[in-house]
Order: sequence, then structure tokens, then C-alpha cells
Amino acid sequence: MSRLADIPVRVEAAVPGCGSADPGGQGGSGGLGGGVTAILSELGELLTRLATQGEPAAIDLRSLPMTQLERERLRHALGDGEVQATVTAAGVSRINETGMAGVWWVEHRDAHGELQAELLEVCRVPEFLARAQDEIAAAGQALSRGARGGS
Amino acid sequence: MTRDTAELVGEALLRHGVSRRAFIKFCTAAASALALPPGAGLAMAEQLRQRPRPSVVYLSFQECTGCLESLTRSFSPSIEQLIFDVISLDYDDTLMAAAGEAAEAARTKAMKDNFGKYVLIVDGSVPTGAGGAYCTAGGRTAVDMLREAAQGAAAIVCVGTCSSFGGIPLADPNPTSAWPVSAIVSDRPIVNISGCPPIPELITATLLQYVSTGQVPELDSHLRPKVFFGNTIHDRCYRRPFYDQGKFARTFDDEGARSGWCLYELGCKGPTTYNACATVKWNGGTSFPIESGHGCLGCSEPGFWDKGSFYAALPEASWGKAGRTAPHQVLELGAAAAAAGAVLGLAAAGVSRLHQRHSEQSGDQGDGPQGGATGG
Amino acid sequence: MDLLGFARGPALKVAIAVFCLGVVWRIVGFALLRIRRDLSAPRRALLKTLGAGAWTVGTRSWPHPEFIGRTGAGEALGYSYHLGLFAVVLLFTPHILFLRSLFGVSWPGLPSSLITIIAVLTLTLFLAVLFRRITNPVMRMLSNFDDYFSWFINALVLVTGLAATAHVGGPYERLLALHILSVDALLVWFPFSKLMHAFYIFPSRAINGALLARRGAVS
Repeated sequence: MSRLADIPVRVEAAVPGCGSADPGGQGGSGGLGGGVTAILSELGELLTRLATQGEPAAIDLRSLPMTQLERERLRHALGDGEVQATVTAAGVSRINETGMAGVWWVEHRDAHGELQAELLEVCRVPEFLARAQDEIAAAGQALSRGARGGS
Repeated sequence: MTRDTAELVGEALLRHGVSRRAFIKFCTAAASALALPPGAGLAMAEQLRQRPRPSVVYLSFQECTGCLESLTRSFSPSIEQLIFDVISLDYDDTLMAAAGEAAEAARTKAMKDNFGKYVLIVDGSVPTGAGGAYCTAGGRTAVDMLREAAQGAAAIVCVGTCSSFGGIPLADPNPTSAWPVSAIVSDRPIVNISGCPPIPELITATLLQYVSTGQVPELDSHLRPKVFFGNTIHDRCYRRPFYDQGKFARTFDDEGARSGWCLYELGCKGPTTYNACATVKWNGGTSFPIESGHGCLGCSEPGFWDKGSFYAALPEASWGKAGRTAPHQVLELGAAAAAAGAVLGLAAAGVSRLHQRHSEQSGDQGDGPQGGATGG
Repeated sequence: MDLLGFARGPALKVAIAVFCLGVVWRIVGFALLRIRRDLSAPRRALLKTLGAGAWTVGTRSWPHPEFIGRTGAGEALGYSYHLGLFAVVLLFTPHILFLRSLFGVSWPGLPSSLITIIAVLTLTLFLAVLFRRITNPVMRMLSNFDDYFSWFINALVLVTGLAATAHVGGPYERLLALHILSVDALLVWFPFSKLMHAFYIFPSRAINGALLARRGAVS
């Protein structure tokens, strides 16, 4: 009896957003070539708004149909920054500063490594990295109590 | 399952070892699925953290428990299970540890303490036949339990096709007189998350949006969230180019099937089915039926069990009651109609011939080889 | 029952029944009409007479050279949209699947996008044909309700079919239901209208040709 893996599967036309990477990048010749340009253009506008009005923003990459090749093109266009942050909270999240100041590539994965969300955040520092006021206050109180108790 | 009325969502999450950042991740993913703006996830998380845990009562009637299984056995439980840390699931007869009188007491107390504020989740259809005797728990019929629970509910979320549209119990011949929730309750906001079962992300995202904003999302004519049920599978199917080119798989193992061609001829109901399977997919985005080689069953649509064979293509005639195919019926019907037509034709010809004879006898004859009357 | 279920179910059944009944009625009524007995001697043998009848079907399907100047445009329009209709009805895969479910036979279809192009062209020709019928004084004089309504029903089927395929004008199930309902209407109207020419045209030419050949006239 032949196994599932023995059944030959031919990718006739890889369509953007179908969920699996193109083997050998064959699907990239078609796809939405203009997508990368559009994203970069929007990032430019958002960065200007951040610089002049201080308003942060984000682009949800999961909602945009992109082939693997376009994703690589986008990464290449944005480049790498100086900061790479790994956050372990219900799985691993990676927050990498890109070469464009103010643009952060955020990937949230769950405990099984499955991608939950992917964003390009336009901000000084992603809010995700910061702590909330109440958390800081609670930590302060805990430390004060500990110091008073220990001395 | 017990709930401290003062406990905030954030506190409950911390108690379960879920950090603020983990919760933000969860809400960000849900916001992305809900097609909300990217910042909405953070806002949702911060809002919810400061609110008391919303009370949820989950009632199950004529169901197979597939919907609850879809939710609890989801592929990435570390994220999906978080919904159970956000809400306070005060009653679910499948999941709760208590049973019998204790369980019913918990339900009654939760409904009384949170009257007007709790979210009622229902799966399974509601039978009304034999006075409702086809589904009872603790001596009470499903109809009574639903009506009672609906009175104090802020909103009702129907999970699955059975509670949304009646599902398999309502399918022909509907021996228990099963009805969807919306046929029994009409004075509460109802959200139908249909599917057999529904995609779990749809359930959690909708619940999350409702508990964080207090608003039901925009709904279609079947009361399903438009963001998930606004497009047909066909509209978003990655095999659509093959449909447009007319490349169809004819059997499940032919060359077309192996090449991933359109499954229209194998009975795919994608064009008339509204759901998010083609975009959100199943098992954490792994695949969906068409991607795995089987046509869509149309399981999120009302009456999908009675819309003909799952393997009959959409345009095929689907009059066959069990055991009788359309060709038999149409041949019988056509033959009967033709026989009737022949009788009428004979009668008409008889009348025409009489008329012809009278015309000839009275002397005014037609010029051509055929006398008057009906002709080409 | 929703609109689509009704259109594909009871409505279609009734339409097919009325179609079969009506067509057989008309054909039987027509076929059993008396032909005035021709008492003259036949100028040709029976077999040749019948052969001439069949030949007439062909010769009358093409205009005589003398008349092409005047009738050519109309004939070309007519042939074109008929061919377009046959292509769309018989070579579009969903239609083939429907006919297969009724009669058990199927045949290969054309790519769906090609069918869409043919359907659009056919619809354009339909509009041209209507324009001609309205503007040409002879056609206008000869035309009655039957002509216009038959045109309308056919055009409706084309338009609703295009709308359904293109998913334009509402939810798909409703578009499909409207298309099937318009087909139901066409089937019901067919036997009682000039559309019966589909069944009459070839027998009519054959009979005329045979009878004339019997008299020795050139057909």
C-alpha cells in the first residue's frame, strides 16, 4: 500500500496567503509584487506621523496576503537594527528592531511555536516590552515589604 | 468554577500563571482574527484586565459535544485555553467537576448573582416534541431551562450549527421537533457561531470581543459575525484559479485531485457556504477540508444535512428522497407529463382536423399542402 | 425552504413537467394535422422525395445568394447568438453536471472564463437583435408580445447566469436562485410560444421540401 508521502503533489500555481511556504520560491514570480512597495510606503507615512505627532501605529502582517518571497523582500528592505528581544510569555515572542528607526518586527508564537500574530509596529519602543503601572506598583510594594521584613 | 465576585480578570490570569504579556499576545491574536486594527489587541487586553471576570453559563442540549471539544481540544491550548481564565465559566455540565444537585445549585446561584449580566452560551438544538421530553436534565426540559436562563442573560452565544440553525436533530424528518435557540428566544441579543463544529478561534475571538466591549460584533442575516461569516469559502479558496479555468478533479484519486484542482464536481459546497475556513483554517491554521482534498460540506449553513448528497455537485438536481435519484424521478415525471401532453395533443389534433374538414366542406380551403390551424 | 431550495426543487420539477407536457402536446397536435391528399401522381420516387426533404433542411438553412445582401446581417446575428447560447448551455461545466444528474451522460466542457466571454458576446448580440427588431420597420410590424417576451425571458436567463458566475448583485445563493427561477420560467413559457420553432424548424423544412419534391418542384 503506498504511503501518503508517496503520492506526488504538484504545486500548479501557488496563491498568496495559502499558508505554506513555496518550495524553492517558485510562487514568487507571480504574487503581489506591489505589496512590499505598498507596505514600505505606508510605513513611511506612519513614521512621519510618529515623528511629528507622537502617534504610534502598527501593520498587521497576518491580514495581508504575502508570499514567502515577498516576506523575504520586505525583511531585506527593512534590514536589521541593534535590538533583538526575546520574550517568554505563553510561548516565545520575538521583537526585532529593523534597520528603519521606529519600525519593529514583532512575532508572537505560542508554546508549540505556532505563529499567533505578526506585526510591524511603528513606535519608539513596543508597548509589549514595557510593564504596566499597576505591575510596577505591586512590585514596589512587594520589595518594600520584603526590605522592611528582612532588615 | 467558583468565582470571587471582586476578582479582576488580570488577577485571575496571574493566579493561573498567565502574565500580562501573555494575555496581550492572546488578545493581539484575537484582534487580528477579528480584523480589528492592530492596536485594538493591546486596548482589549488592558481593558479586560481591569474588569471583573464575566460570568458565563454554558448550557448543552441536543448536541454531540463536538463544539465544546473543538474549543477545549484546540491545537494551541496555551492560547485558546486562556479564554477560560478570562471568563468565569460558572456552569458547564461537561467540564465542571460537580454533578447532580450540586451542579444545578451552582448554576442557579450564578444566574441569580449575575442576573442580567452573564453570557449564556448554548450548544445543541432544543426539542419541543412530546412536551420537550426528548432532552431533559434534572427533571427539567431543555426548553424550560433555555427560557429560564435567557431571562437573565446579557447576550446569548449559540455555538455550533445545532443551536444556531437546528443542525442534525432538525434534519428531515426532525422526529423530536428540534428548534434552534433563535426560534425559542427572541428578546435577547443572539450571536450564532455556526459550523459543525465551529472553528475554535471564532468562538474565543467573538467571546473576547463581547466581554471586553460589551457589544456584539456586526452580524449577518443569520446572526453570524460578519467578520468571520461575511465571505463564502469559494471567495477565499486558494483553488479558485482552477475553478475559473475549468480544471476539476473528477474522482478522489485522479490526476486532477493529485494536482490540487477544484473539487466542485466532487460535491464541494464552497460557493454557497459562509465561514472562515479558507482564511483562519483549522488546527491553528494547519489546513481546511478543501486543502486536505475533500469538498466543503457547507456545515455552517442552515439545513445543510438536507441539501442533497455531500458528493453531488452543487448544480446537480437534488430532489431525491432517500433511495431515489433525480434521473428516475425526472424520467417518471417527464414520461407522465408527456403522456398527458400526448392526450392533449390528440384532443387538439382532433379538434383541428374537425375544423379542417368543416373548412374543406364549406369550400374555403387553405392554399398550401397543409390546411390552416396550428403549424410551425 | 429557502429561495434556492424552492427554485431547484419544486419549481424546477413543475417547470420540467409543464415543458414535457406542452412540447408533446404541441408536437402531437401539429403532427396529426391533416395533409390534404395530393391526388396527382408523384413526380419522384418516395425515397428520393424523403431525401429531398432532408436536403431542404440544409438548403433553407442558408440564404440564397440573391438575398444575402438584404438578409445576411439578420441571418448572421441569428446564427451567432444561437451558437453562443448552445455553447453556454451545453459546454459550461455546472450545466453539464446538472444534465448529467438528470440523464446520466456528460461530456467535456470549456474553461469557465471562456464561457463567460461567450456569454457576454451572446448578450451583446441579443441586444443587437432587439435593436434590429425595434428599428427595422418590417420586423417591427411582424413582432408581437410573443417575440418580445421570448426575447426577454432568454435575456433574463443570460443576465442572471452572468451575475451568478460573477458573484455580482447580491449573495451567491440568491443570484443562483434567480437564475434557476428564470430557467424555470423559460421552460414553462417555451411550449406555448414561438420558441417552439426549436422543434418545428427542421420538420417544417423537411416536410415542405418533401411535398414540393413530390410535385417535381425544385426545392
